[in-house]
Amino acid sequence: MTTTQTQERPGLRAGNTPGSLEKAKARRDRRTYTALLIPAILGLLVSFVLPLAYMIRMSFNHGEADGVIIEGFTLDSYIQPLSDPFYWKVTLDTFQMGVVVGVVCVALSYPITLFLARTTSKYKSALLAIAIAPLLTSAVVRTYGWMVILGSNGLVNSSLEALGLISAPLKLTNNMLGVQIGLVEISMPYAILAMISGFGRLNPQLEEAAGSLGASKFQIFTKVTLPLTLPGVLTGFLMVFVLSISTFITPTLLGGGSVQVLATEIYDQTTGLLNWPFAAALSVILLVLFGAVVAVYQRLTKKLGG
Amino acid sequence: MRSYTKYGMAATALMMASALALSACGNTSSGSDAASATSGEVDVIAYSGIWQDQYTAAVIKPFQAKYPNIKINFASKRSSADMLSALQGQKSNPNTDVAIMDQSVSESGNKQGLFDKVDASAVANLANVPDKFRNKDGYGPVAMLDAIGVVYDTKAFPTAPASWNALWDKSTCGKVNVVAPPSLLGISLTAITSSMEGEDYTKSIDKGVDKLKQLAPCIQTFAPNPDEYQNVITGQTVIGLGQNARGQYYADQSGKKIGVAFPKEGTAYQINTINLVKGAPHSAAAKTFINYALSAEAQEAFAKALFYAPSVSNAKLPADVQARVVPTDGSLKILPLDVDFLASVRDKWTETWKRQIITKQ
Repeated sequence: MTTTQTQERPGLRAGNTPGSLEKAKARRDRRTYTALLIPAILGLLVSFVLPLAYMIRMSFNHGEADGVIIEGFTLDSYIQPLSDPFYWKVTLDTFQMGVVVGVVCVALSYPITLFLARTTSKYKSALLAIAIAPLLTSAVVRTYGWMVILGSNGLVNSSLEALGLISAPLKLTNNMLGVQIGLVEISMPYAILAMISGFGRLNPQLEEAAGSLGASKFQIFTKVTLPLTLPGVLTGFLMVFVLSISTFITPTLLGGGSVQVLATEIYDQTTGLLNWPFAAALSVILLVLFGAVVAVYQRLTKKLGG
Repeated sequence: MRSYTKYGMAATALMMASALALSACGNTSSGSDAASATSGEVDVIAYSGIWQDQYTAAVIKPFQAKYPNIKINFASKRSSADMLSALQGQKSNPNTDVAIMDQSVSESGNKQGLFDKVDASAVANLANVPDKFRNKDGYGPVAMLDAIGVVYDTKAFPTAPASWNALWDKSTCGKVNVVAPPSLLGISLTAITSSMEGEDYTKSIDKGVDKLKQLAPCIQTFAPNPDEYQNVITGQTVIGLGQNARGQYYADQSGKKIGVAFPKEGTAYQINTINLVKGAPHSAAAKTFINYALSAEAQEAFAKALFYAPSVSNAKLPADVQARVVPTDGSLKILPLDVDFLASVRDKWTETWKRQIITKQ
């Protein structure tokens, strides 16, 4: 095939074997691709690699109480959180929050995603757009919305009181419960988007086949549908988990200062206490936590894929 | 033709790359108008929200009417610590000229070499600032004063709470807000509670912390959002910690749903200083602005707008405004807070709150 193509080319000069021409072309292509990659690489370098390197370097400096940063090389900022039970608890709470939000969010989004993936309605695209439409509103605005809904005089408490179900308002905000409720709702569009792209392997004919062979609806779901959609579910969970443990807006606004997670701790250290080295070290720890979770995810998906 | 297109694409890519690199390195200040006192721009960093709105209306707009060739660019931050953090980030190449921030934070800035001294020869109105409101080393003087008070729901409290102990009253349990450290409000509450328990807060705050631990289970929020005043106005809380100036402003805005009072045990000032950034790109125009900010005209206008007490002796307020700004004549019991000391324990006290008080909820 290759030989035929080169023989047809009019500009073939004597002495140039077809192989060398191909090689020259490949070299040219490679150069072009490299040149085209330069803006993206430079962009990544300036906006991601350099700040990350700066952050890692910062974590080895020493931070004084009044915000003074003493340049040097010390492991103080790592030793302090790693040797302190308080920061282990903050890390554990962060992790727990991510898992709870991830599980609840995926559980709530799963039926919606399954419906969207299988529907043959002509409004499928519109329905999908509606499901992810909340992304058009900022997370800050949606969090403020939850503050209004969950507050002492909010929609939920006043409705329950009007129905006579409670005598005093429930504490639904300014605590971890409020943060989790807010995060689940805010992350749902991401979960739906991540899962729907992973539901490609779901073939309705397989379910029909299982049904025709006598499987009950429950069996079809547990033996066919769920295993086939599991990679998508895992991706959805990972997405929500990572988003929840790294966000600080929702824990700050709905946590009322009593929800202490790594992201809020980093924010407080950076802007409140001005201890940048400590904040940088906490960020590196959070990054390592991300890395560990992504590694587990990759192992799991490999297993599922194999 | 094909290879020509490819080279064209490669060239475009390289051009884009260089543009990106240039834009990344760019944005350096020209500094060409640093010497002009009556023209150019002044970059001011100060508080956001209603503070920004009222300061713009009462001070910046009249200043620009007086000096039409000076443009004020206002960069707003939520807190003084946010401002200091921004100034630290631009230390080697400042793009801010003037910072209006809390005294405890500006002291840190002075120590870190972020600010220049303010010279009376370029800022004539400094002469009207009494000695007690000037920096002993010549750095930025006090620009305005306020104090911390109890903010309360006027329905729940027909008469204003007279003591800090009202926060501990069981009848309002679950409807109390405080602003935990590192906020100055929380730092001040710690010092006040410690003093109420008979301690010298510079030596120990143990008893104060024990008392705050008793309050913790009744606290609705340690970080009120959107702020401590809206929490009271919307009924989320009925009593809490707040500043007099904003409390007075929101009392008017909400049709007196919220009130603010100074408890009998005494309170702490919240003092803002006006500071000239070291290496400010427009230092001459910045001094003109600082001079105007210290004029009786600007100080009176801001007191009328947001109830901050003036720091200059020649400012005269109408009686109704005077009654609502924090007294600076010694008639209000003020706990003298050692700004340097508080700056040095801010992180320790914040940790104490996080580990011992907030976890008691």
